[in-house]
This record gives sequence, C-alpha cells and structure tokens, in this order.
Amino acid sequence: MDSNVSVKRDEAGPKVDLPAISYDEMLTPQGEVRPHYEALQARLSTLSPDELAERQKTQERFFLLQGITFTVYGAESSTERIIPTDILPRIIPGSEWATIEKGLTQRLQALNMFLADIYSEQQIMMDGVVPRELVLQAPSYRREMQNLYVPHKAYANVCGSDLIRQENGEFAVLEDNLRVPSGVSYMLANREASKRVFPGTFRGAGVRSIDRYPDLLLATLKSMASDWRPDPQVVVLTPGVYNSAYYEHAYLARLMGAPLVEGRDLVVHDNMVYMRTTTGLRRIDVIYRRVDDDFIDPLTFRRDSSLGAAGLFNAYRAGNVVICNAPGTGVADDKAVYAYVPEIIRYYLGEDAVLPNIETYLCREPSQLSHVLANLDKLVVKAVGASGGYGMLVGPHSTRAQQDEFAQALKADPANYIAQPTIQLSTAPCLVDHAVEPRHVDLRPFILSGEKIVVTPGALTRVALRKGSLVVNSSQGGGSKDTWVLSESKGERQ
Amino acid sequence: MLARVADSLYWIGRYVERAEHMCRLSDVMLNATLDRSEAAATVARIALSAVGDPDAARTKQPYDAALALALDREDGGSIYSSVARARENARQVRDQITTETWERLNLIYLRMNDPEAAQSFKDGSQQFLHDTIADLHLFKGAGDATMSHGEGWSFLLLGVYLERAQLIGALLEVVFGEGRRRRPISDHFALTNVLRMGCALEPYLRVYTAEMQPRFILQFLTLDEDFPRSIRFCTDQIEQHLSAIIRHAGLAGRVGPDRLAGRLRARLQYADMTDLENEGASAFLKTVLDECSAIHRSLYDAFVAYPLEDRLPA
Repeated sequence: MDSNVSVKRDEAGPKVDLPAISYDEMLTPQGEVRPHYEALQARLSTLSPDELAERQKTQERFFLLQGITFTVYGAESSTERIIPTDILPRIIPGSEWATIEKGLTQRLQALNMFLADIYSEQQIMMDGVVPRELVLQAPSYRREMQNLYVPHKAYANVCGSDLIRQENGEFAVLEDNLRVPSGVSYMLANREASKRVFPGTFRGAGVRSIDRYPDLLLATLKSMASDWRPDPQVVVLTPGVYNSAYYEHAYLARLMGAPLVEGRDLVVHDNMVYMRTTTGLRRIDVIYRRVDDDFIDPLTFRRDSSLGAAGLFNAYRAGNVVICNAPGTGVADDKAVYAYVPEIIRYYLGEDAVLPNIETYLCREPSQLSHVLANLDKLVVKAVGASGGYGMLVGPHSTRAQQDEFAQALKADPANYIAQPTIQLSTAPCLVDHAVEPRHVDLRPFILSGEKIVVTPGALTRVALRKGSLVVNSSQGGGSKDTWVLSESKGERQ
Repeated sequence: MLARVADSLYWIGRYVERAEHMCRLSDVMLNATLDRSEAAATVARIALSAVGDPDAARTKQPYDAALALALDREDGGSIYSSVARARENARQVRDQITTETWERLNLIYLRMNDPEAAQSFKDGSQQFLHDTIADLHLFKGAGDATMSHGEGWSFLLLGVYLERAQLIGALLEVVFGEGRRRRPISDHFALTNVLRMGCALEPYLRVYTAEMQPRFILQFLTLDEDFPRSIRFCTDQIEQHLSAIIRHAGLAGRVGPDRLAGRLRARLQYADMTDLENEGASAFLKTVLDECSAIHRSLYDAFVAYPLEDRLPA
C-alpha cells in the first residue's frame, strides 16, 4: 500500500489466548481495503501524519468549546474533560445496515411486548418460556408498574443497544439498554465534527442523515400523550449540572425546544405535575427523564432522593403525566433475561431473531455454573446488576488471583452472574499518536419507540483506545467516533 | 420560562458585568501606576476601594493586587470567580442560550481556567485584561445578535444593568463621597483615570471637552441620558426590561418590582446637579444603591421564589 500513513494489522497485541483473529472493518484478511472504505482510504493517503494530527486537534478544540465534556471529580478540584474522539469515521454499508435495522426493530418490538406482558397477565411466565423467579427477582423489576396503562405498549421509548461484530463478520447484540441510555449527543456531535474534518469524502460517500433524531425523539415523546392532550408539554428531566451526561440532557432539550427541568423545578399537586415558571405553575404532560428509576419519586422509590419529585409516580399512575422511559423497563435488559431474548422474540412474534445473541451461560443453572467455573480463564463473567464495564472479569486478560476472587463470588451468589465467551470485537482504523492503527470497536445505535419504532441510520461507535483492550466504556478509557451508514446503493461492489 | 432559568440568566448578566468592570479597574490601575506619582497612588486606592479592598498595603503593590483580583480562585470576588460563576450558570441553562453566545463565554472561562493563565497574565497583564474585556463584549454582542429578545434576554439584561448601576454607584461613592478624610480629588490625571474606570473618557470628552471638572464627571456618570454606563441610563433600562417581563408574564399591577424601578428611574430622570449637591453625593448614591438592592429582592420574590399557594391552578 503506497501511503505515507501506515496502516497495519494488529500483530503486536498482547499475548493472550484468543479464540480467533478479529474482523477488521476496513481491511479484508488479505489486507485489501473493503470497497466501502476505499474513498476514505484514498483521502487518508493524501494526508500527512501531521495534517491528521492537526485535524484531530481541531476536533478536540471543537468539543471543548462546545462544552461537550464530562466532569472528573478529584480529591481537591474537579476538571472537565472531553470524551476522547477519533476523527476517522467507521463506515457501514447500506445492506448491512438494513439487517441491523430490521433486527433492532424486531428486538425492541418483542421487548416492549415482553414488558407489557410481565407487567400485566404474565403469560410468558405461565407458559414457562422465561422462569418466573428470574423476572420477579430481578432488581429492576418494579412491582409498582403492575397493571399500569402504557400508551402503545411503548415502555422503552429510547433504546440504545450495544452491538458487536463477531469474528465471522456478523453483527450480534451484546447488551440492550432500555433504562436511560446515553451517548446520542456524541453521535450527533461526532457527525458535526466529521463533516468539518472530511467534508469532501463525506459528500461523496452518500452518508445517511441523522439530523432528524431530535425531532423524531420529540414526536415519539409527544405520541405518548397525544391521545388525551392535543399539544402535550414535553420536558427533559435531568439530575443536574453535576451529572456526567448533563451535556447531553441540555443538548437534547435545546434541539427539541423542550424545557430542561430539575427535580426542584417540579411541583405535584392533585396528581398533576407542574413546573415553576416565572409566570406561575405550568402543567407538564410528558417527562423524558434522564434520572434512574430509583430517584424519580422519593415517595415511591428511594426516599433519600432529591433528584425527582414527590408524588410524581402517583401522577403517572393516575394517567396525568407520562414518564419516558417507563419505570421498570430495566428488567428487559437484565443480563440474565438477555439470555432469553431469542426465545422472547419467537414467543411474541413467531420469528427467529434477525440479530443473534452472544452465547450466554446462566450461572444460576448448576450445570452451567460448573462449566463457567472450569473455564474462568476463557470467559467473560458479568454481574447481572452492574453496568459501565464494572463488576466484570475478562478471563483471558485476568490474573489467577482475580479468577479465584470471582470463583468465590460465583459460588456465593451464582444467580447474580452470567458468563459469555470472550468475543474479539471487530477493529476499525483509528488515529493513535500520528499513525492509523486498528482498535476494537462496538456499535450503539439508537431506537425510538412510541406510536411506531424508528431506528436512526447512524450510531455511536465506541472505541477501546488502549491497544488490545476490549473495554469501550468511556469510564474506562474508551472513546468514540462518527459512524457513517451509507445509503443502499453506495459503497458496494456491484 | 422556568423560574430557575430566569434566575440563572439574571445572574449570568450580573457576573459578566462584574467581571468586565473589575477587568477595567485592574487595567486602569496597572496602566496608571506605571507612573510613580502621588496621583497614581490615588488611582490605585480608588480602584481597590471600588472593588472593596481598600487595604493601604496593597495599593503599594498594584501588580500583585491585580493578579490576585484576576486569578485568585479562592476569592469569590475575583474576576476568575465571576467568570466561572457566569459560565456555571450558563451551563445550567445551556438549552436557553444560543451556541454562538455560549461559545464566547466558554472561551473566556477556558482561558482563565487554563493552567497557563497565570503565566500569560505575567507575560502581558494589560493584554490579558484587555482581551478578556473584548471577549466579554463579544459575548454580549453574540447574545444581542443571536438570542431572542424575549423574556430570557430581559432577565439577562436586568442583571447587567442592575449590576452596572451598583458598580458605578460604588465607584462614584469612593471618588465623590463626602465624609472621607481625604480632600476632594482634583488632580487631572486621577480624574481622567476615574473616567477610564467607567469606560467614559471618550464619550465625556465629546460632551465636556478635555476640561476635567469633578462636578461634570459626577454629572456625566450619574445623570447623562445617553451614556450607557451612567446610572440614569441603567435605571431606564432596568425599568424597560422589567416592564417587558411583567407584560410578558401578564402580571401587570400584581407585583412590586416595577413600582420600585419606576420610582428609581424617575429619581434619576428628574434630578439635577443642584439637588444632588444639596442632598450630598453620598446620600444620593446611597439611596440609589438601596433602591437597586430592593429591586433585586423584589425580583426574586416576584418571579423566582414566589409562594406556591398564590399560583396554584384554581
């Protein structure tokens, strides 16, 4: 390859026993550039390492100036940091996206039906498809939601699923996020930035637009109240400026034209929810809450919370306000329930899952537990309740002591753990220290469900910027990059 | 508009105005004290007294005083603190401020918060202060050009003009107040710098020429109709923005701040220098400052922390 930017395979990675070589988004195993990456590769070959680094700096400056930062609280002072971003877009051809879109729509449709079922008749449990205790004992199951009317049965109005590309090139779902998924502002900000960095390549590539996300979100939220209020008042509820995702809350509120409220702005009176405005109290119909279930109402959930509003849940039960996402949706993204999702899809829709799951061992089953214990050095073990890459053992990257520690924990509370084979996430070219190198990536698309289900043709691609690392969470050294979904006809070899 | 949001916008206005005023005072002080004269010491004393730090020892070290005033993070009264608080408030109402406006303010904050800030202050303190003032002007200009001039904008400008009236009032009190041990300031150099502190030198010269008369300066900074930093101009603006807010809120005749603002505006509009001299500058300025504080409190009572019982739906 005659380029002054070195593009090399990840041959010098850490010496670990990995099941297979990972799929590369840009290069075939023979080292040829895949057709949908050709234009970008051609552009890269005309840029010197310094020029690329300069563009990277410009992009970081853009993020800093916009205030797209999260706050790191230290012992003495707090600093604001930008989430690391990479300027090289990750490109997905139209035909592959069509499968993803179909699979995500199917999945969310089934999960919403599952939630509607377990919070009413519980047919799926009676039919023995999903074990009753698995659902009812999940910490995210909310008894308070039982028999509560949710318009369109749309429990998870905003869903962010984590997809990975397996060694064979097939996308699979690693995790569903149905509570308060975040990251969509980074998807939109990365897009703004990459339009500046690679305007010509972007124009030529036929990238599908994601600009409509905010108004589609607003339409989704409004559809949750439209059958009883003609022009519903939508607000975004944030825990406040100290929350690490505050930028996103403010960003979405601004782009939707909806007020950004905090718990202290809300007043519940006669089972109606109001916000304090300069002109008095104003009725609220839909709350897009970015506050976890536990904190939305101290009278119903955690009593020490001041992030929500007292009486909010009763107003919801009375049908005077809609909370989006519905409380209790977390039970459908529980890591143990996850193992049953293909069954759930078959049960409600009578179809096979378009997007496969990752093979999952439920440690609650004694036979599977013993398999997990015997293979701790090869598997990834996850605590059912944890998220953000915490409470996790990555077998091949762990020490003997860590494995022993997890073995103890597994035996003590097996129901709290699941295990999965170590998947080599696919790699995509990233700019690291003036050179283009492959790094592991995942894919988080965002799906809206209200009156209908809409998949935004774009996603947040999260990057494990440390060489060889498989952990993409921003709390653990992960970054992000723009994701170009090409229109059907573009970027594919005829 | 959310009550909390209105409150934040108001405070952005106040902090931004305060930061600009203190930058200017520091800048004038540093420039004046390049001369080692008695008048220069007077200027330093005026500047530091006007920001509430009349410690005699510090007037001897104007550079150190300016550095602390600019960048001391521990001191809630420093320029850094004002900028940081303005920006913190802006972050809390980020959805209400245009990106163009936000960027200007964030830029100032990022520069003052930079680990290199103290070094760039040392490398060129006046340049540093000058740039900060210029960027604060850009912030106001970006807001004026890109934000809707509705309720939120009026809250922001209410903050700006109330703060400005109080800051100019406090400066004039230091210079012209009676009951001080010092004799009246008559030195040409000192008076010129007083005008500079009010950003008023050039507009003053247009009206009164280069004749530096304490009486004219007091008149110009207190009663001039057109100069945007005279107290009278500020009170006009306060009344206008307040009545816009009240009109918008449909609260005419139901809340107190507009009556207070109307009275203050009338006081300035119909006063002349003879009244002011008969009453005494100190007494006059004290009344103005007290009434500004009363407006501030009644704003809060009327729009932000109003009792809920009054506003519950029937």
